[in-house]
Amino acid sequence: MTDYAIELKGVCKSYPFFDLQNVALRLQCGTIMGLIGPNGAGKSTTIRILLGLVHQDGGEVNVLGHSMPKGQIDAKWDIGFASEDMRLYDSMTLGWHIHFIKSIYASWDDGYAQLLLKRFGLNAEQKIKGLSHGQRVKAALLLVFARRPKLLVLDEPTTGLDPVARHEILRELAAVMVEEGRSVLFSSHNTQDVEQISDQITFIDRGRVIDSMDKEVYLDRWRRLRLEVPDGVALPTLPGVIGVQKAGRLAVAIANAFEEHLPNAYENSGARVHAVENMTLEEIFVANVEHSREVKA
Amino acid sequence: MRTNVMLQLVLKDWRIQRRTIILTFVAGAAALTILLLGGQTPIVFGTVLFFVAMIFCACLLPMHNIVNEIKKQTLPFVMSLPVSSVRYGAAKLISTVGMFLVLWLALLCVALYMILGRHTLPNGAIPMGMILMGFPLIGSCLITGTALVSESEGWATAALAVANSSYGLIWYLLISQVPSLTKTWSGPVAVWSPAALKILVVQFAIIVVTLGVTLYLQSRKRSFI
Repeated sequence: MTDYAIELKGVCKSYPFFDLQNVALRLQCGTIMGLIGPNGAGKSTTIRILLGLVHQDGGEVNVLGHSMPKGQIDAKWDIGFASEDMRLYDSMTLGWHIHFIKSIYASWDDGYAQLLLKRFGLNAEQKIKGLSHGQRVKAALLLVFARRPKLLVLDEPTTGLDPVARHEILRELAAVMVEEGRSVLFSSHNTQDVEQISDQITFIDRGRVIDSMDKEVYLDRWRRLRLEVPDGVALPTLPGVIGVQKAGRLAVAIANAFEEHLPNAYENSGARVHAVENMTLEEIFVANVEHSREVKA
Repeated sequence: MRTNVMLQLVLKDWRIQRRTIILTFVAGAAALTILLLGGQTPIVFGTVLFFVAMIFCACLLPMHNIVNEIKKQTLPFVMSLPVSSVRYGAAKLISTVGMFLVLWLALLCVALYMILGRHTLPNGAIPMGMILMGFPLIGSCLITGTALVSESEGWATAALAVANSSYGLIWYLLISQVPSLTKTWSGPVAVWSPAALKILVVQFAIIVVTLGVTLYLQSRKRSFI
């Protein structure tokens, strides 16, 4: 058995107006990866490729030891997938859906399904068309969680949910991870959600993976330095600093590989360092995307 | 042991569509009971209603069972299950055409009972009736195949329009161009002329080719949902 639940190497897919280019991704078994990207970045295409629903033009895709798309049927026995655009059958009840999924998966856990019904405040007798958006998302996730898959692939599951519903779902995701060996790929453009639960973060933009590493490493390496630059002083170009924005005498430098000597290097050049600040994942994401677009241009 | 997912998908479709099938069967069978009244007007009226019910179902089932799955975004839910696009396509063909075929056979039995058991029509009408009933079956396969391969409501509607508008023309051509059918349809005995058998064989071949081409095109897809 491979150490990776998901492994993508050099994956490409071309559409008339969009290209997924050379995507490489590795999700270690037992970890949660947040896949962050703006709308149209290629998150859903990447996810559909790793589920075998879209065939890549080139590159290798391996999911739970199965080569995709060839091994998609075997792989999907152990994958739980839910996406923002996934709907259940309107005219049928949640109970009917539970019965249907239970008839397919021997791993279905009735006790856990009942527990989730209670925790999510759902009624199995209710028809799907009578549920709110939040309840529908919870119902879809219940159907995924209670089959106890080894790998959860969630494509923007919290989009459009109120804060309470989002919290309930993230709490349940964290609970699901208590089981050893379970892996999660969680795509979102909501960095707050991803920051809460992920071990690893991958940024994707315009069909390319622009960065991928442990969340703690991201938060540790990215810093914002607030500087005052007196007239006549030119700021040096320092390694690890990806951009400097100036407004009059004030400047903000963004570092993606912060080292303790960076503030000193600016001080030595004649600038004054007013603050060295940690960045939120959202700020890191935006800076990363902007930098990647500048480099590409 | 792993469950047969294709079978579960077919059963799921049957459970969801059972109301449509039952209602169409009731409507078709009710139309045939009008024939019991006797006289030309009830015969024409009952026969027309019978075919309307059948054609209605030939259109409705693929639209409900395939197009709605795409339109209402339940397809990602189904495709999250351990099934490939080819097996999904095969399951959809089996369920949609299968549902129509069961309805078709049930209505055929009622029609045969009305002719042979209740003598509402002469036995000579059986070959013509079988041939006429074959066209909605072809139409059902054509609409199902188009909906499945194109994954588009527009193309499915186009196939539906082509099928529906061709029934009248084909029936007119049969009546005007195949005299061996019309000569014997009011007789007391069902006459299976070579022309009638040839038409039935061609109908069967069209159905087999339509389903085969659908499965082939489905297997060639590189992007599914």
